[in-house]
Amino acid sequence: MKIKEVIATINQMQRAGVIERYAIGGAVGATFYLEPVATLDVDIFVAFKTQPGSSLVSPQPIFEYLTQHGATVEGEYLVIAGWPVQFLPPTSPLGEEALAQAAEVDVEGEPTRVFSAEHLAALALQLGRAKDKARLLQFVENGALDADRFQTILTRHGLLEKWRTFGQQFLQP
Amino acid sequence: MTFDLRTILQSKAALRLRLAAQPIGVKLRLLDELRARAVAIAASRKTAKPSAK
Repeated sequence: MKIKEVIATINQMQRAGVIERYAIGGAVGATFYLEPVATLDVDIFVAFKTQPGSSLVSPQPIFEYLTQHGATVEGEYLVIAGWPVQFLPPTSPLGEEALAQAAEVDVEGEPTRVFSAEHLAALALQLGRAKDKARLLQFVENGALDADRFQTILTRHGLLEKWRTFGQQFLQP
Repeated sequence: MTFDLRTILQSKAALRLRLAAQPIGVKLRLLDELRARAVAIAASRKTAKPSAK
């Protein structure tokens, strides 16, 4: 399985100290809770380390490590085992919380971390693109969310109004 | 097989739930296959010549 190779490579990079905590998000992350939906890339959320002597965070150590270990660069992507992988910093308090509270899972003997279903759904609501709304609807229709936990996240991150609007648009009978 | 829309929608929902309940290894293998298919389709679109009118 090629995605397992991607996970194994990222785990090796973590063990080498290049990155600290990471978690899978996006469509691949959603696949841990929903039916698989075609996607072209893998989103890995990671807390970037600051470079010595600089306050700026940089993905450079990730690029250097992975290209030395067989990955190729295609634009903003690193291609690992045939999968374009994008390394992303969390860009909101919700994203930071999703990374901090990511669930530990096992993929056929390979440990990894993935955003919780509730955080993936809240991020989809926050982003609000058509594909995000479709994914959020999948989470709801599949009964994949812990309602209390989801509500708490929405409240904490000021997303209740957006949720009400989403409900009126898509969840009314 | 049926053309009853309600039955069709129910069977689709049931299929989605069955797929969602598969072990993660199975689902990730499906993602591998779905991506390979999407890449092949995208490549064929690039090489396909527009038909003459």
